[in-house]
Amino acid sequence: MSGKIVPTFTLAFTLNGGPVRVETSPGRRVLDLLREDLGLTAAKEGCGSGECGACAILVDGAAKLSCLMLAVQLEGREVVTAEGLGTAENPHPIQAAFVENGAVQCGYCTPGMTIATAEFLAHTPDPDRGQVREAISGNLCRCTGYVKIVDAVLAAAKAAPGESS
Amino acid sequence: MSRNARCPGSLDELWPLLEEGVTIMAGGTDLLVRRRGQVPAPVACLERIESLRGVRVHEGFISLGACETHASLLRHALVRERLPVLAGALQVLGSPLIRNMGTIGGNIVSASPAGDTLAPLYALDAQLELVSKWGARRVPLAGFIHGPGRTGLKPGEVLAAVLVPPPEPSALQHFEKVGRRKALAIAVVSLAAVILTDGEGVVLDARLALGSVGPTVARCPKAEALLAGRRLDREALLAVGEAMRSEIAPIDDLRASAAYRREVAGNLLLRLAS
Amino acid sequence: MKPSSPNQPDFSFRHADTLSKAVGAERYSTDFTPPGCLWAGAKRAGVPHARITAVHVGEALAVDGVKTVLTGADVPGSNLQGIVHKDQPVLAVDTVRHAGDAVALVLAESREALAEALSRIRLEYEPLPGVFEPELALAAEAPLVHPGREGGNLLARGLVDKGDARAAMRGCDVVVEGEFETPMQEHVFLEPPNGTARLTATNGLETVVSTQAPFRDRFEIAHALGLDPMRIRVRAPYLGGGFGGKDGATVQCLLALAALHAGGRWVKMVWSREETFLAGYKRHAARVRIRLGASSSGALQALDSVMYFDSGPYAHLGVEIMALGLEHAGGPYMIPHTRAEGFCVYTNNPVGGAFRGFGVVQASFALERSLDALAARLGMDPAELRLMNALRTGEANCAGVAMESPTGVRECLEAVMAHPVWAGRHTWKEAAPPFKRRGVGIAASCNAMGYGRGLPDAAAAKLELTRTGTFRIFNSVADMGQGNAAAFVQLAASALNQDSSLFEVVQPDTRLCPPAGSSSASRTTYTFGNALLRACEAMREKLKARAALALLVDEPSRLRLAPGVVADEATGRSIPLALLGNMLQRDDRICVDQYVMPVVENPPDTGKAFRLGFPHRFFSHGACVCALEADELTGQVELVECVTAVECGRVLSARGVEQQVHGAAAQGAGLVLMENLAHQDGRILAGDLSTYLIPTSRDLPDLEWLAVDGDEPTGPHGVKGMGEVGIHGPAPAVAQALEDAVGLSINRIPVDPMDVLRALRSNKA
Ligand SMILES: Cc1cc2nc3c(=O)[nH]c(=O)nc-3n(C[C@H](O)[C@H](O)[C@H](O)COP(=O)(O)OP(=O)(O)OC[C@H]3O[C@@H](n4cnc5c(N)ncnc54)[C@H](O)[C@@H]3O)c2cc1C
Ligand code: FES
Ligand code: FES
Repeated sequence: MSGKIVPTFTLAFTLNGGPVRVETSPGRRVLDLLREDLGLTAAKEGCGSGECGACAILVDGAAKLSCLMLAVQLEGREVVTAEGLGTAENPHPIQAAFVENGAVQCGYCTPGMTIATAEFLAHTPDPDRGQVREAISGNLCRCTGYVKIVDAVLAAAKAAPGESS
Repeated sequence: MSRNARCPGSLDELWPLLEEGVTIMAGGTDLLVRRRGQVPAPVACLERIESLRGVRVHEGFISLGACETHASLLRHALVRERLPVLAGALQVLGSPLIRNMGTIGGNIVSASPAGDTLAPLYALDAQLELVSKWGARRVPLAGFIHGPGRTGLKPGEVLAAVLVPPPEPSALQHFEKVGRRKALAIAVVSLAAVILTDGEGVVLDARLALGSVGPTVARCPKAEALLAGRRLDREALLAVGEAMRSEIAPIDDLRASAAYRREVAGNLLLRLAS
Repeated sequence: MKPSSPNQPDFSFRHADTLSKAVGAERYSTDFTPPGCLWAGAKRAGVPHARITAVHVGEALAVDGVKTVLTGADVPGSNLQGIVHKDQPVLAVDTVRHAGDAVALVLAESREALAEALSRIRLEYEPLPGVFEPELALAAEAPLVHPGREGGNLLARGLVDKGDARAAMRGCDVVVEGEFETPMQEHVFLEPPNGTARLTATNGLETVVSTQAPFRDRFEIAHALGLDPMRIRVRAPYLGGGFGGKDGATVQCLLALAALHAGGRWVKMVWSREETFLAGYKRHAARVRIRLGASSSGALQALDSVMYFDSGPYAHLGVEIMALGLEHAGGPYMIPHTRAEGFCVYTNNPVGGAFRGFGVVQASFALERSLDALAARLGMDPAELRLMNALRTGEANCAGVAMESPTGVRECLEAVMAHPVWAGRHTWKEAAPPFKRRGVGIAASCNAMGYGRGLPDAAAAKLELTRTGTFRIFNSVADMGQGNAAAFVQLAASALNQDSSLFEVVQPDTRLCPPAGSSSASRTTYTFGNALLRACEAMREKLKARAALALLVDEPSRLRLAPGVVADEATGRSIPLALLGNMLQRDDRICVDQYVMPVVENPPDTGKAFRLGFPHRFFSHGACVCALEADELTGQVELVECVTAVECGRVLSARGVEQQVHGAAAQGAGLVLMENLAHQDGRILAGDLSTYLIPTSRDLPDLEWLAVDGDEPTGPHGVKGMGEVGIHGPAPAVAQALEDAVGLSINRIPVDPMDVLRALRSNKA
């Protein structure tokens, strides 16, 4: 019967700026790898099916859904989670803008939102509200009604003109 | 024991895996969702196979690599400028996150009647380039898709590229998707139109395709013929819309009733009324 | 807004939790995965009503890594859960009563083994006819959800009345009547129900759960599993949303049961999104029939309404929620004669439960639509009709309770009516682009605060001065994102005249914190806030008294708390808090105090069926204007503006109120525009996030909030609850706007674009 021993391999990639080597199954969900094997819990699971964006991470600068990625896809890639954007002591301007603009309520969507924002602002340093709404439209938030999140993204754009992550 | 997921770096590395019976995965946005909660079976990811990517002009076609993501296509000037009807669909496909992952090849092989790129590609008369270790073949998109989730993809074959004959630069290209919300919405009806008019606004050639109104995307030959020779005025578009309604076989589902789909399918062209 | 006086707390900047959440450092319940933990999961019935003839677990047990598979027979104790009425089994025994009932519980070494084992459990049933419609469930021959129960499928009937509505109706110049339906609604909190649990070395049970009611959970678990509640420890970290859906048992009892079989290892249970749809609580679907009568001038005279609430197969808070529905049947309006009768009915549908604005959402939609019909009949402006009937302070609401606490509904209406979206609506409508029709609508609402009579709405607060001179607040009320933890810091900091950075918050932990009620009913800040202010008062007196010893001052009252010190202004001497902290023993560094929300003193002689939760004394008020565009070709409706005014006592934290109003309005907008579980014969057809749609950032406008400052003399710094009232506006306001735009009068939600197209067609013809 099942519970087969799943073959593992050594996965090497860059995580939040530093090299990582980890023994894992190539088919392991990236979300589980990050949260359970590597202890990075900023990426959250809200649906496991691509619908909520809470699990978003940056892979080579593009925001992707870690619930729909397999470990093997990370080989050699550069991965950034919300933990890698900034810390409580030294938050990323986007994270600071979310806090200052009241864009965080339960906060469960926030790491994913900030990741989507990071990629967006890197390409669109001076957006309007409509563009921001479009950019975060893959990240559901049930608490805020999005207004403050849009405010925060615009404020972050102002705070770091032209800066990319 | 073989690994349950791999990323071959080339087609030559892919072929033996296909022989082992692995499932192909491009962006995974369809495959991994469908497989949720199931015992994982081995997959081969295409994302590192360079020859499945790229956008270029080739033999008179605009060739779109099957593994190009929706986002990368949208960023490409050839797509934006020469194929706005496709760009219009890509723009409203899923969400930015889905567009960063999902590929045009995956959208085609998923063969959902609601696949957003399909109506534009039908209207553009796109062809597909299929490759296997034995060689390559070219088929029209419309003949490749047989029904929901069913295609003419043969074992051992991969979709390599989508070949789009570019429309006349002056042709009107129009896309509209009707969903139950504005992002992350599966189309309830979609319309793709590529319409060529003469200097006076008289239609020379019209290609109309409707999504989500039958088992596959529907081209509307009767309506296309009806529109030829007329202007894009309200009266003509009402008549053409009525013809379109007769050329589709929508069903009721969770998202909308057949009656609604039929009604809207005939309305959408009116948006072009001058 | 009035400027804050120097002694008022500064709520402008909520920092403590939001920063750690934003950088991904905050640990939610779901982030707690102890190494080597076991995984637990429930096999769900999948059918709405059936007798269980066999549960085959053999194949599941044979899966590698499966520890055990438990069924109803393995549950010690009563095997019954429920907040007030205990009728929901932890694991179904003979019968399943809705598709989400748990029938077996698997404990496995990995998530993969768990999934595999769950797929290999085979359930054999003898199907039973089900009831899926409350009114049909009341028919004499209807199949019974709980056979043998006295009262059959009628969980409760209630009547709330005042005057003689039926007689008064006969004397009205105009009477409108209608039937209205509001659907089940899914909370879609982003963090699914989840938790971890283990048996401790001393045979206690320790759990970490995403829950709104950690203190009540202990008793739920203890009752269901036959354990000693005092040996159960529940911790509630910050929640990734709740909105009512985590008030009551989700994973708690299943998880505890699993832990009893895990030999001291941690067990983790996380519901998938699909399981959450299947098994989680829903806003009660309701049908309301109304007759509303008025004089020809528009003065409301009589209301006669009947409400049916679909409880699903278990009571949860159904009776209490119906009581709220009846109590809000007359909304924020003065109606001399009212009668509201309610039936809360068992069915085989998903389980009804708490959801922001419960009971009131259902009643309010029906009443507001009826007011629209009345305005149309009288040829009156719908805003003027509402304004002229707005309930004033001192007048009695439809439950006969005189509003002693200030009511701000008039001010709310005036605020939104003065807003350009309402004031400029005619010009805006005329400027509609091709293929678009525009419309604007207005609605008002009120929402009770607290549990109401019969159930003490209480909280105890504990405050500690640490040895290093900082403060620790033991928060007893879970923070599901509304920011109460941060608000408590601000309250305490200002009460003690200290910098807020000196405070840390211990999140609810039944072992460390004194008990308090749930995080619900717009009560959190009011009740715990008042308790905390009292604890602060005690702390201040204590610190002064102890400092007096050190400073050799014989009148402690002369001392003052200043940042970091207790100071004697007369001598200029002071003693640092750190020194005091170091000087006192632990017991002496702690202050605990409590608060119980006052209730209606002379309850009216009605609503006798409701022992708990009726009537209420405090209400918050709101008004809302929505502007929309309907597409002539597709019938799609876009919400273009949504302006909400709310009166919730003093506005201490403009940002806090605004956040709650935005969130509530967004949920109200989702309810009217798109949310639809599409359940049929007890099965949810839209059971995941690709089919059950909630608004994305592109589906909502820039929601606006208008502050209406009030004052609640009993509230901490004058505040009332405001978590719920904002949800009521969008549904009726959008409905009215739709009528304005395309002449479509809807009596059920969400809006169906096909109906919009039909209305356009028939109005053209
Ligand atoms: C949240 C969410 C929202 C979505 N919204 C939309 C939407 O609005 N519109 C829409 O059209 N779709 C939508 N989709 C579906 C999906 O994202 C798209 O169809 C996407 O284009 C699929 O591409 P993929 O690369 O991810 O495919 P995969 O999941 O990798 O593959 C899909 C199928 O195609 C096969 N396949 C993929 N590439 C090839 C190839 N080159 N050769 C042969 N076979 C191949 C795979 O074996 C598999 O059977 C959504 C999905 C999600 C999860
Ligand atoms: S968890 Fe990945 S999109 Fe929801
Ligand atoms: S803040 Fe709770 S989901 Fe966004």
